[in-house]
Amino acid sequence: MAHLCLFSLLVLSLVLETQALTPTHHLTTTDVARLQTLLSQPFTDLKSAYYSVVGLSKLGISVADAAETCRFIKSNLDPSSVESLFFAAEASQALPGCEIPVSNDTRDLLLATVSEDSTASQIHQSVSALSSLGLPLASQEVVSALKARISKEDNVLTIILALQTASRLSQQAELGEILEEIEDQVIQLVNSIFSKKSWDSLSEAFSVASAAESLSNNRFHVPVIVSAQGPAAISHSQPFLRLQVTNVLCKPLSSASVLVESATATSSKSAILSQAPFTLRDGVFELNFMASQPASGYYQFSVAIAGDSRFVANHVELKVKVSTRVSINNMDLSVVDKDQSIGPKTTRVEYPAKAKASFMADSHQIFAMTFQLVDETTGVELTPHQTFVRLHNQKTGQEVVFVAEPDSKNLYKFELDTTERKTEFDSISGTYALYLMVGDATLENPILWNVADVVLKFLDEEAPSTIQAKTLYTPKPEIQHLFREPEKKPPTVVSNAFTALVLSPFLLLLILWFKLGANISNFTLSPSTVLFHIGHAAMLGLMYVYWTHLNMFQTLKYLAIIGSFTFLAGNRMLAQKAVKRLERK
Amino acid sequence: MSNSVFSVISRFVEEYRSSTPNKLKMIDAYLLYILLTGVFQFLYCVLVGTFPFNSFLSGFISCVGSFILAVCLRIQINPQNKRDFLTVSPERAFADFLFAHTVLHLVVVNFVG
Repeated sequence: MAHLCLFSLLVLSLVLETQALTPTHHLTTTDVARLQTLLSQPFTDLKSAYYSVVGLSKLGISVADAAETCRFIKSNLDPSSVESLFFAAEASQALPGCEIPVSNDTRDLLLATVSEDSTASQIHQSVSALSSLGLPLASQEVVSALKARISKEDNVLTIILALQTASRLSQQAELGEILEEIEDQVIQLVNSIFSKKSWDSLSEAFSVASAAESLSNNRFHVPVIVSAQGPAAISHSQPFLRLQVTNVLCKPLSSASVLVESATATSSKSAILSQAPFTLRDGVFELNFMASQPASGYYQFSVAIAGDSRFVANHVELKVKVSTRVSINNMDLSVVDKDQSIGPKTTRVEYPAKAKASFMADSHQIFAMTFQLVDETTGVELTPHQTFVRLHNQKTGQEVVFVAEPDSKNLYKFELDTTERKTEFDSISGTYALYLMVGDATLENPILWNVADVVLKFLDEEAPSTIQAKTLYTPKPEIQHLFREPEKKPPTVVSNAFTALVLSPFLLLLILWFKLGANISNFTLSPSTVLFHIGHAAMLGLMYVYWTHLNMFQTLKYLAIIGSFTFLAGNRMLAQKAVKRLERK
Repeated sequence: MSNSVFSVISRFVEEYRSSTPNKLKMIDAYLLYILLTGVFQFLYCVLVGTFPFNSFLSGFISCVGSFILAVCLRIQINPQNKRDFLTVSPERAFADFLFAHTVLHLVVVNFVG
């Protein structure tokens, strides 16, 4: 049900600035054909039958087997459901000669639904069903029910449904006032509906078809689609600018009259045309623009379509390209001495011939080239975007490209000084073929012309005889990684000897202590003494384990445990010793 | 000249032998041991090379630290210095000695690598 609202939903939900919009999307004839195919698929239930039948009728196409469809609708109708009645009523109205039998109960059901208590969609369905079935209904009741509904459900969908319902009633002026304000929204609506060119579901196809029909045939706004036939380009061979002016369903608007309000050149901003009408020929509007003799380049056209007050988006801006053919005049080649002691010998070459003699230029001379580029028909001087001079060495395959610049009088000049440019040539002397390349977007005949051969002599022949292509992308030499050399260690014998040496004073210590008479005769076997010694030994053992296995944190942990234990035992032991010492004193 | 030096030394040795208590002599023996160990380590470094340097440092510092702590213990235990260390009993001195050694060895073992 909400699918029907697709059309009106977008109308009202678009929040927009009011600038002049032009449609960017519309249905071409292939799109319409595709739409029709999708809508013609066989239907499975009443809802899809409704979509197919009514959708096709909006496109102006009748259903294949009307009687069969009518029977299908009648058999699938459920008279106790307002929705089912709605589908059946609308579908049967689109089919010729299909009448749905209506009982009093049905009519009462539909009339009862028109009240404030039903939802807006229910009201819409019942009003549509009533009007399609030809049953009388009271407009005033409907309007009041809708008004109450709008105030209760304040959302966009309700307003849309209300509008749609009101449209089924008799022609009321208030409807028109609302629609006149939404001109821009209509264009945006056109863009959004027709931007998607393939439709997944039947309901979508139906919505698009009914939107297209409404937009082509309503009383208020008819969007106008203006498109150029082929590229909008004009030349002497094709002097007519052709425009197709159609509605969204790609049907030409014969009642329209197309006028060029102004045509200005984009570069100079000077107006070429003003208020020139297009003539209608075979459904296409055409204008002979070349008759106004425009210079080549781009032009901004402002086109207005008149003829019907319903036309929306009837002002269009078009960019038109005028192309021309270029011809090269006065191509003069000369070799000038640097000190200008000998006058230049100028050779004129005509396109597309090549100069017979080749030109020699060494370090004392400059090779110069001048020419003019003009429009073939009008003789106006042109400055195309690309004017290149290419020198190609046939033997080595090397090519160097220069740009020829025009001076203030639009005369192109190119000068080649061998000493200045020797880096580009890698100082390789030899015969170079000289080409002139001319191109532009507005030129119909781009030119590649082998003008002459030039023999260049460079002073220092430093370059190698063969050109090596720049070795940017060849594999680079492999880097061998040098691992860090381990430090030189002394031989094991030396290390062992010194280890023994370092440990030897311990022996000395033991000997000295023995000599001094150290003994453990005072060793009392009291528990604290024993425990202290055990704890102390454990701490020393922990040091060794720390050296070999543990890290600082683990060691500190163990040390805390053992240390506190040893401390307590040791404290006790030393206290006992102190007591003993004081007793002895 | 050498005569007087020799006589001073012999006098000193005689005094030492007679008047130093046994406990202090034992500590002195320990000090000698530590000293020799340190000297030999330094000798190795001078002769052979400083690789691995961290091990040498840790060993050497261990010797130096132990020497200092033993000297402190000797000073504190010496009965002649009793007036300077009224609050410190010999047992307390020994306990301090042990604790300081624990910390020293923790650092030394960490650094020896």
